[in-house]
Amino acid sequence: MKVAWPVIARRTLGFAAGAVFAYAGGLKLLDPVGFASDITNYQILPWAVAVRLAFYLPWLEMLCGLALIFHRLFDGALVLTGGLMLLFIGATISAKARGIDAACGCFGSASSGLSFTWHLLLDLGLLGILMALWFWPRPRPATA
Amino acid sequence: MKIRTAFLIVSLSALLLGQAGAALVWEQKEADLHPALTDKTAVAHFKYKNTGDKPVKITSVHASCGCTTAALAKETVAPNESGEITATFTIGERSGVQNKTITVRTDDPTEPATILKLKATIPQLLQVAPMFVRWTANDELNPKTITVDVDPEYSVEKINVTSTDKSIKTEVAPVPDKKEFRITVKPTESGRPINASLKIEPVLKQEAHKSYYANVQIDSRAKMPAQ
Amino acid sequence: MRISLVRQLLLLLGLAFLPAIGQAVYYRNSISWAQPPVDSAPVSLAQTESWGGSVLWLDARPDEQFVRRHIPGALQLNEDRWDELLRAMLVQWSPTRKVVVYCSRESCHASHEVAERLRKEAGLTNVYVLQGGWEEWETAHR
Repeated sequence: MKVAWPVIARRTLGFAAGAVFAYAGGLKLLDPVGFASDITNYQILPWAVAVRLAFYLPWLEMLCGLALIFHRLFDGALVLTGGLMLLFIGATISAKARGIDAACGCFGSASSGLSFTWHLLLDLGLLGILMALWFWPRPRPATA
Repeated sequence: MKIRTAFLIVSLSALLLGQAGAALVWEQKEADLHPALTDKTAVAHFKYKNTGDKPVKITSVHASCGCTTAALAKETVAPNESGEITATFTIGERSGVQNKTITVRTDDPTEPATILKLKATIPQLLQVAPMFVRWTANDELNPKTITVDVDPEYSVEKINVTSTDKSIKTEVAPVPDKKEFRITVKPTESGRPINASLKIEPVLKQEAHKSYYANVQIDSRAKMPAQ
Repeated sequence: MRISLVRQLLLLLGLAFLPAIGQAVYYRNSISWAQPPVDSAPVSLAQTESWGGSVLWLDARPDEQFVRRHIPGALQLNEDRWDELLRAMLVQWSPTRKVVVYCSRESCHASHEVAERLRKEAGLTNVYVLQGGWEEWETAHR
């Protein structure tokens, strides 16, 4: 059997990124109020918006994570998670620039100790994986 | 299709392998404690047994709050050996349901950390609400009411209320057909700031009991109501 | 079968709504939708410094830690000696003061529990919990 390395590499990367998103989403949907207050800490959105977003975003992350893991709606999930990452990175940098020490909130309360640098590195790393998945030549659809 | 299946198998087995080697097996990881009214502490025992073939070293035992101390019987657990962690929860003047966790770390790479849960339901003979009554600068010094609810499991015949400030008068009235008392708090003096505390003592059939407190604050500018 | 990218996006965005709405309905009565739950407000050290002298610091740590060191002017209020300490604290309290409770570090619960009791049992508002706790204060005042 010929091993299709590019395919395996893609699957592994997709799995890794998907797992991070599913995990992050899962942790946050356990505590929507905590996540909402993490969002308002960035001082970009008012509470009324943040609290509604706090119910939606974790599920979206979870769903996109699962899509990446199981390779369904893969391109859509790539674009969405990539967009989310850009948003998160933008928010983090803008918060730092305004001198706000916002807890990252990425992994619910588990991430309260994460420093700005690590937070940004993590975000950029994830974005890197997503971009790689998007731009790398895709294997031709199997004709089985 | 083949690749998808292979991938699934690999990831699933990776998940399962993580579980298989765990050596310390806990008899229970959660304790539900119901201390008595007069207990000062609540104690939970978490028993473990090393079912692996290598000794396991417990590297740290850490409680989620200073009110819980965890004592460890033995640091290194030989194969087949059992032991226990004793967690002592100091009740102090806490009330209601208390959830605490104890994190046990070991050098066993398959299960480096175990979280033990301790839940203690602290009996509350009397519920005093509000337990802080105050009259601010613009208030008239009309009487205020404090409600005292009795835990349905106990029978309290009456309650005695004493104030640390003589100018604060109190009247106790049982609420008919209910396990409840009403305390009417009447200020009788104005023109000075008053901070007082009301000691509420239940009179019980059982001997042992403790006292409950409510607090009173009156602003010196608060006025007596016009007669 | 290939699903176009736009459809994939819409599908994912839409699908996430279903459980989100379910969860929101489940939480509908236990959440404040319009305003942040002011009462549980965690507060940063920088924020408390902008409040200046109106802050009433409450140390929720065990006695021996308070004795060793504490924020200057802080009063003690822990649940080991709740009744007695609360009485002393209420004498210092006035409605214009902002109460900020702290315990050892970010992960400790004592400050949250004390703040919760102050709100529920004593009916105080303007009760905050210091983010990062004593550890944060100590690092900033080295």
